[in-house]
Amino acid sequence: MKLGIVTDSTSDLPQYLIEQHEIEVVPTILILEGKEYADGQGISREEFYARLPDFKTAPSTAAPSIGEFSERYEKLLSNGCDHIISIHAAGALTAILNVARQAAVGFPGRITTIDSLSLSMGIGFQVLAAAEAAENGLKAALVAVESARSRLNVFAALDTLDYLRRSGRVPAAVTMLGSALSIKPLIEVADSQIKAIGAVRTTRQANERMMSFLKSSGKLERLAILHTGAEARAREFLRQVMDEISQSVPREIMMLNVTTVIGTHAGPNGLGFAAVRSE
Amino acid sequence: MRMDIVRLDRLRRRPFDGQAVKRLVEAGLTWLKTNQQIVNSLNVFPVPDGDTGTNMTLTMTSAWNEIKDSGEKHAGRMAAMVAKGALMGARGNSGVILSQLWRGFARGIQDSEVIDAASLVKGFMDARDTAYKGVVKPVEGTILTVSKDTATAAEATLAETQDPIEILAKCVSAADASVVRTPDLLPVLKQAGVVDSGGKGLFFILEGMLRHIYGESLDAPISSVQPLSSMNFESAMQEIEEGQDYEVVVDFFPDSQFKLQKFYGKLEEMGTSIQVGEGEGMYRMHIHVPLDKRYEPIDYIMGIGTITKVAMENLTAQMDEIDSKTKSSKLELATIEPGQIAVVAVSPGPGLSRIFASLGVAAIVGGGQTMNPSTKDILDAFENLPTDKVIILPNNKNIILAANQAKDVTVKSVQVVPSKTVPQGLAAMLSLNPDGELDSVADKMIKAMSAVRTGEITIATRSVEIDGVKVKEGQVIALLDGKLIVSSGSVEEGVMAFLEKVKAEEYELITFFYGEDLSHAEANRVADVVRKKYPSHEIEVQEGGQPHYQFIISVE
Repeated sequence: MKLGIVTDSTSDLPQYLIEQHEIEVVPTILILEGKEYADGQGISREEFYARLPDFKTAPSTAAPSIGEFSERYEKLLSNGCDHIISIHAAGALTAILNVARQAAVGFPGRITTIDSLSLSMGIGFQVLAAAEAAENGLKAALVAVESARSRLNVFAALDTLDYLRRSGRVPAAVTMLGSALSIKPLIEVADSQIKAIGAVRTTRQANERMMSFLKSSGKLERLAILHTGAEARAREFLRQVMDEISQSVPREIMMLNVTTVIGTHAGPNGLGFAAVRSE
Repeated sequence: MRMDIVRLDRLRRRPFDGQAVKRLVEAGLTWLKTNQQIVNSLNVFPVPDGDTGTNMTLTMTSAWNEIKDSGEKHAGRMAAMVAKGALMGARGNSGVILSQLWRGFARGIQDSEVIDAASLVKGFMDARDTAYKGVVKPVEGTILTVSKDTATAAEATLAETQDPIEILAKCVSAADASVVRTPDLLPVLKQAGVVDSGGKGLFFILEGMLRHIYGESLDAPISSVQPLSSMNFESAMQEIEEGQDYEVVVDFFPDSQFKLQKFYGKLEEMGTSIQVGEGEGMYRMHIHVPLDKRYEPIDYIMGIGTITKVAMENLTAQMDEIDSKTKSSKLELATIEPGQIAVVAVSPGPGLSRIFASLGVAAIVGGGQTMNPSTKDILDAFENLPTDKVIILPNNKNIILAANQAKDVTVKSVQVVPSKTVPQGLAAMLSLNPDGELDSVADKMIKAMSAVRTGEITIATRSVEIDGVKVKEGQVIALLDGKLIVSSGSVEEGVMAFLEKVKAEEYELITFFYGEDLSHAEANRVADVVRKKYPSHEIEVQEGGQPHYQFIISVE
C-alpha cells in the first residue's frame, strides 16, 4: 500500500526533506497590508521579520481553502496513493485541521486526518516520522506519528510580549505577565496549548533558560532550532549546544526561520526549539 | 544609679508575680523609648532606614499592648502574653530576635507563679538558647552575644545570692560591658566606630527595669545628647500622644549656665516626644506640645540661650498629609484559586507595589516609616487568602527574620524566598508559576534572584569610613548588593560611579526605579546620561515612589 503524506506550511519542513519524502505541503495564507500571499511566496521569511515591526496594520493569517486540500488529495490519490495521512497544526489553535477534515469528507475512507497538537517542527517531526515509516503501511505510520508526538518538546523564548498580545490568540494567563516592566515571555507548546512557563528580562537570560529547557529534555532523537528572523542568535545557540551537550543531540540538527504565519504572532528575534526525545 | 533603699526594701517584700513582670515590661519599654534615637544613631551604615531603636521600641510596644489591661498574677502566664505580643509586633531583625528572647524567657519561667532567683536565671538562659536557635548563622558581637553574656552573669550570680534584684543588677552591668565589647567581636562595628545597636537596645530594656526598681526616672535619657544628624522626627510621628497638637523645633546656642538635666526636666513639664541633638555647639530641641503650650518651649529657650531658628507645625495637619500619601490607589493584585501559590511581597513604594502587582503578586505589605513590617503585618497579608501555599518576598535583609517568624506562626505552607533587595524580588517574581509545586517554585525563584545585581543610591546620614570608603554626612552614597562602594557629590555622579563598579558593560539591561525624593524629569535626565555612556544597553525608567532611596537600580 502506498501512503501519501500531506501537511500544511506551518509544519516548517525544510524544502529538501519535502522533496526527499515527496510530502505535499498546503500553504497557509498571510494577509499583509490588504494583500493575500501564500505562505513562502511574495515575501521571504527573512524580509518579513525584518519588516514586521514597521507594518502599519498587523499582518494576519488565514487557513487554506477546502478546495486547496481537495486538489492535493485528488492529485495524490490519482497518482497511485492508496491512503493519505494528513497531519496539521493544533486544531485548538488554528482552523487548518478543520478545513482539511471537511475536504477529507469528499474522499471517504481514504484519508486519515491527524491533529499534531503542536506547531512548527513539532508538526514537522511527526510528518517525518510518518514519512519514514510509510513503506511499512498505514498502521506503522500511525504508530510512528503517535510515538513521536508523545516524545515532543517545543519551547520558545519571545523577544517581547507585544505581538502575542496583539494577536489575541493567546490565553490571558500569558498576556497578563508583567505589563509594567518590559519582559520576554517563555512559552511551551504542548497538547494544543501555548503555555506561559515564565518570563525573563534580558536576551541572555532567555538563552540561558532555553539551554536549560533543552538540557532537561535529555537525549534527543531529533532537534530543530527555530527562530523568527534571528539567525545570528540561533547560530550562537547552536554553537553552545555543540559545546555543552553534543552527546545528547542527534547528528543532524536543523536550524530554520519559522513560518511567517506563526511569526506574525510571535514577533521577530525569537528563539525556540522543537525536539523529539529518544525512546 | 542611685538606689532608693526604702523603696528597694519595700519591693523585696512584694511577690515577683505577674503584675511585677508587667511593671517591669512597662519600665523596659519606657526607657528604651526614651533612648530609641541613641540606639537608632548606632546604625553601622549611614543609610536612612533600618532604625533598630524604633523597631525594638515598636516590638516592645506590641508586647505592652498585649498585657496593659491584664490583671494576671501568674508570672509565667504573664510572660507568655508578653512573648505573644512581642512575636506579633516584631519588626526588623533586632525586633525579631528580641521577640525570640521573650519567647525563651517565657518558656523558662512558664511554671513559676512567682519568680525566684533560680527561675529568673533559668529564664535568662532559656532566652539566650531560644534566640540563638532562631538564627541560622548566629553572628557574635550582636544582641545575641549580649544575651549570652547576660545569661552567663545571671548563672554566676546565682551562686552568691538568692535575691532576684541583685541578679538583675549584675545582668545589667554584664549587658553594659558586653555592649562595649561588641566592636572587638564584629569588625564592621569597629570600622564604623559604633557599638552594636541591637545589643544596646537590649541593654536599655534591662537597665530600664532596674531603674524602675531603684526608683530612677525613665523619661529623660541620662547620657549626653544625640548627634544632630541622627535626629529623626518622622518616627516621632508614629505615635503622637493624645492632646499634643504642635511639633516645635528650636535651634539655639545655649548660654554658659545651660544644664542639660534641668533643660530636660523643664521640657518634660511642657510636652512629650522630646529629642535634643547637638552639633558643633548648636543644639536642636524637638518637642510635641498641646495647643495652649505651643509658645512655652520658645519662651523658655529664649531665656537660656540664643535662638537661631524656630519651626512650628500643626501635628494633625501633618498626620492627615501622611495618611493621604499612604492611601495608595487601588492595586490590581492577582486573584488566587485554592491550591495555587500566592506571593506576598514587601514593597517600599507605591510605584513598586504596582509593578509587583502586575507581575502576579497576591498581596503587598508596606513597610511603615521604618520600612520594616511586623510579623503580624506579614501574617495578616496572607492568612485570609484562599490558599494554603504561600511564598514571601521580604525584599530587604532586615525583614527576612520577620518573614521567617510569620512562617513559623502560621499553619499554612510557607516558603520565604530571602530576597534582600527589590530587584531580587522582581527577578524572583518572573520565575513564579502559580500552579507549580511550592518547594520547586521557591527554588527557581532563589536561582532567578542570584542573576540580578542591585544598586541603591541615597544620602549619607553620618560621616563614617566603611570598607575603605570615606563618607561625609550629606554626600550621595551608592550601595552594590548591599555593600557601600562609593560616595560622591551628586546623584548623577553616584549612579555613574555605581555603574562603573558593577561593570555594567558586561550586562544588557539597566532599570532605574526612582524614589519619592526625585522628580520624573530628573530621573529621566540621569537615565539619558547613562544612555549616552552605554548606547548598546537597554535602559528603563520606572516610578518606584520609595522613600529615602533616590534610585533603586537593577542590573542584569
